[in-house]
Amino acid sequence: MRRYRKTAFLFLTPFLAVFIAFYLAPVGYALYLSLFIRKRIGVGPPKEVFGGLANYIRAVQDTDFLNGLKNMFVFGVVQVPVMLGLAILLALLLQQSRGFFMKICRTAFFMPYGIPTAIGALVWGYLYSANLSPFNQILQAFHQGKIDFLSPAVVLFSIANIVTWTWTGYNMITLFAALQNIPSDLYEAARVDGAKTWDIVRRIQIPLLLPTLQILFIFSVIGTSQLFTEAFVLRPLGYLADNITPNLYLYLTAARDANYGYAGALAILLALLIFAISGPFLRRIASR
Amino acid sequence: MSSEPTSVTTPLTSAEARLRGVSQEVPPVAAGKRRVSAATVGRQIVLAVFLIYCLLPATWIVTAMTKDNGQIFSTFGLWFAYPFHFLENLSGLVTYQDGIFVRWFGNSLLYAASISIGSTMISALGGYAFSKYDFPAKQFLFNFILGTIMVPSTALVLPLFLMLNKIGLVNNMLGVILPSLVNPFGLYLMKVFWDSSLPNELIEASRLEGASELKIFWRIGMPLMQTGLVTVALLAFVGAWNNFFLPLIVLSEQKLYPLTLGLNVWNSVSSGAGGKPVFNLIAIGSLVSVLPLLIAFVALGKYWRGGLTAGATKG
Repeated sequence: MRRYRKTAFLFLTPFLAVFIAFYLAPVGYALYLSLFIRKRIGVGPPKEVFGGLANYIRAVQDTDFLNGLKNMFVFGVVQVPVMLGLAILLALLLQQSRGFFMKICRTAFFMPYGIPTAIGALVWGYLYSANLSPFNQILQAFHQGKIDFLSPAVVLFSIANIVTWTWTGYNMITLFAALQNIPSDLYEAARVDGAKTWDIVRRIQIPLLLPTLQILFIFSVIGTSQLFTEAFVLRPLGYLADNITPNLYLYLTAARDANYGYAGALAILLALLIFAISGPFLRRIASR
Repeated sequence: MSSEPTSVTTPLTSAEARLRGVSQEVPPVAAGKRRVSAATVGRQIVLAVFLIYCLLPATWIVTAMTKDNGQIFSTFGLWFAYPFHFLENLSGLVTYQDGIFVRWFGNSLLYAASISIGSTMISALGGYAFSKYDFPAKQFLFNFILGTIMVPSTALVLPLFLMLNKIGLVNNMLGVILPSLVNPFGLYLMKVFWDSSLPNELIEASRLEGASELKIFWRIGMPLMQTGLVTVALLAFVGAWNNFFLPLIVLSEQKLYPLTLGLNVWNSVSSGAGGKPVFNLIAIGSLVSVLPLLIAFVALGKYWRGGLTAGATKG
């Protein structure tokens, strides 16, 4: 095999080239930038000077950033289980169904995944908007008050709803595919033993879905940590705090405030946090 | 209830029926059927409720694209209103601001096609190396590349912007395309597909016949990889078509924007003070920007299902 080492490397070269240039290099650059702080020395524009870990120390004391992280955690703890629970329920129901209606459902449930996040968020934004919302039109027809879906107290749930709408179908289809892989003689054997539908769900289907669920869970957690587009798109339509998600805060720090060093430090802290959360799960999956 | 579970689902063949002496016309468990239908109704209600939920935004789009801007505000958002303005909106879409929407559509196609083809080729080559060769630190490198999927895109894109700025690729289509060629998940899928599609014995046999390594890859391997290639290309196409964050950061000129960014500009202008609202154009534009993906999904259904399954069960 030794003589093919060079060939293997040649096959890998294109991937490694773009990977190093556009993946590793930026991370390294972010690390480097994060060590510099802006300082105003005398008169004139502020200068970038070496600050050591000053940006990191500032980040862990930055209540705006920490509140953004808190939003992310609340989101992960509430939205991810709701979405995955819904996906399991729908996958099981679809698996027990036959016929045309089931095929329509399967396609329609999955459809939101194929819609660009920015477009989905835009349209949900109109369904939420104070002037356009059909939900409020219905409420008003019954002489009820309006709901401001984009008010600070509600907007996190409004975003969670968009994410749930987008991804439940994707998760469901994946679970549905895993259900199809369960050998049918398992069901037959269970029926012979007198198992009811609920027994089969609990004792056979859920346990066999667990590996798939773990992967979906990790993908969902990573997705939660990357929340940006929904919040960004909704911003012109209502009042959204700068730190509604950590990524929006990061983006504004860099793009609006042009504080690249601090944005770099925030980015690296965020990445480390995600690694710490999903690393153990990933290792367990890799060891299978 | 009968203790013959299989008879519910598999009707007996006529030969079997004759052997067992039962008439085929009689359903095996007639009593059980009514009980099942109560559960079926409950099941279908749950499915129908979720179906309506899934279709809510689509309903808004389809009704709003037949209204003018005033009607969008004054009529019920989930139903049609007279008179129809669909054709007006359609011509508005392609002519508004000198037809910039058409340009955005072309840009999106260009971005998605080049990213899809490029990243699939690169992933196919890399996946082949991981699947068919041994080299030092192979497992470590593979795990490391997969692990990078977890790095938040913002963490990557902001420094990427500063880097692109230095090498002059900011506000340049290449600044969107080149970084998107990195597709760790595609590499992983390609390795899985190579593992199952090209038997190692076939490689050995071809080597004995004197075929070069590149020829084995291209002439013998690639034709066997059709499913894998289409799957990865399709997923990459969808990802690129949906991309928002990278072009948002890299591009500043509107004529280079993809659809997602362009429609968002219209939205910001429409929602801001003093801007001319064009919600009707946004609605019809949303539909047009979703159509290519829906067509691809329906036409290539078995491929994306294959991709999802590979991602889910082979982890």
